[in-house]
Amino acid sequence: MIKFQSILRYVAASVLLMTSMTTIAQETIKVGMSGRYFPFTFVQQDKLQGFEVDIWDEIAKRNDWQVEYVTANFSGLFGLLETGRIDTISNQITMTDERKAKYLFSTPYVVDGAQIVVRKGNASINSIDDLAGKRVAVNLGSNFEQLLRKHDTENQINIVTYDAGIEQDVALGRSDAFVMDRVSSLALIKKSGLPLAMAGEPFELIENAMPFVDNAKGQQLQQAVNASLQAMREDGSLSEISQKWFDGDITRK
Amino acid sequence: MSSFDFNYLAGLFPILFRYLGITLQMAAMASVIALALALVLALIRVFKLPLANSFVVVFISFFRGTPLLVQLFILYYGLPQLIPALIGLDAFSAAVIGLSLHFSAYMAESLRAAIQAVPRSQWEASYAFGMTRIQALRRIVLPQAVRTALPSLMNYLIDLLKSTSLAFTLGLAEIMAKAQMEASSSFKFFESYLAVALIYWGIVLISTHLQSKLEAHLSKAY
Repeated sequence: MIKFQSILRYVAASVLLMTSMTTIAQETIKVGMSGRYFPFTFVQQDKLQGFEVDIWDEIAKRNDWQVEYVTANFSGLFGLLETGRIDTISNQITMTDERKAKYLFSTPYVVDGAQIVVRKGNASINSIDDLAGKRVAVNLGSNFEQLLRKHDTENQINIVTYDAGIEQDVALGRSDAFVMDRVSSLALIKKSGLPLAMAGEPFELIENAMPFVDNAKGQQLQQAVNASLQAMREDGSLSEISQKWFDGDITRK
Repeated sequence: MSSFDFNYLAGLFPILFRYLGITLQMAAMASVIALALALVLALIRVFKLPLANSFVVVFISFFRGTPLLVQLFILYYGLPQLIPALIGLDAFSAAVIGLSLHFSAYMAESLRAAIQAVPRSQWEASYAFGMTRIQALRRIVLPQAVRTALPSLMNYLIDLLKSTSLAFTLGLAEIMAKAQMEASSSFKFFESYLAVALIYWGIVLISTHLQSKLEAHLSKAY
């Protein structure tokens, strides 16, 4: 009988402990991502990591949240958000007008756009206006030729289309510059190890942010995330995370 | 061009095996539910139960007539917009339900064909012995039908196992999901997908082996 009572007491005590633990437990935020967009969100040796993961670990730390990462195919992410199974998506979601009409967005944390890349040490090119009379390489199938043509109304840029190897050609000096999206350019420069450098600011900007469902909880999250992003921007931790993965700052223009 | 990386391939197996359990659980649960449901559906069609029969005809037509991926999306992302209670449905359950419904439709038709292929005289002989319809079905007809249906049912079970690879679209971390994620960070697509292909193949080989044992067992009487 005594034994039974002590067991009962033990059970009662642990139930009490568990309930008190749940009351002080941290809020859990579910963040959806594909896990398939290197180096933003990727899995290596079964470990989810990348730029997005670092950003969210930092946001969670600042808000005393617990983050649960939910990986799903990109095509399933908005469905998960819509049905409330995740609270937001962190997967370089571009703020389009259609999406902005439907979701609340955080302030943009990545600014992407068309980027001019030159051979390291070439100071003569700093913007799209400096490309007149120069030989500029673009990749086949990309829309950068149209973008350049749009700015180059007098047809002064010598645009050359490549199937592959535009980075080699600029590094060799055969072409003066190439144009590609900034984030890929940074990844390419880092990966190839060639003597290349970014020239000037990107043009035709694209802003990426995190969407939330438009309801009370979404609004609350949006405000908290925005405050954290702002603080991270100010104390330099946002660009630090960017430097870690890209050797460059993609979080501002 | 990079060459084939055997060490990378070998290193993937321990990672993928960690998630094999989810794939197998999903396949096993869906197989059992699908088989049971298929039997009910087949019997409704064989006995042409009024009302239920027309419902089953539409059910089979829908689940055979639309892609599994679409059905999973409707179940997991679509219906919760109409019925908020369904938001509580987790990805694993949704995948099991979706796979069960989809494959029960196919298996019901196999079973119906097998039951109807048992000669009419078998039923009549059973009735002559004083058996009821249920008794005749259970003791005489079904054992013969199952033997005929087994190879085609096995086809569907194999297909079901491989279709669990669609569950990543619902956010479920099974072996295909892990292979895809490892591939997109290492860029070793061939090795990653080969590893997962070998695992599926291995499971199918084991299942087929069990099938031939079962077939031998069922054929003992003949």
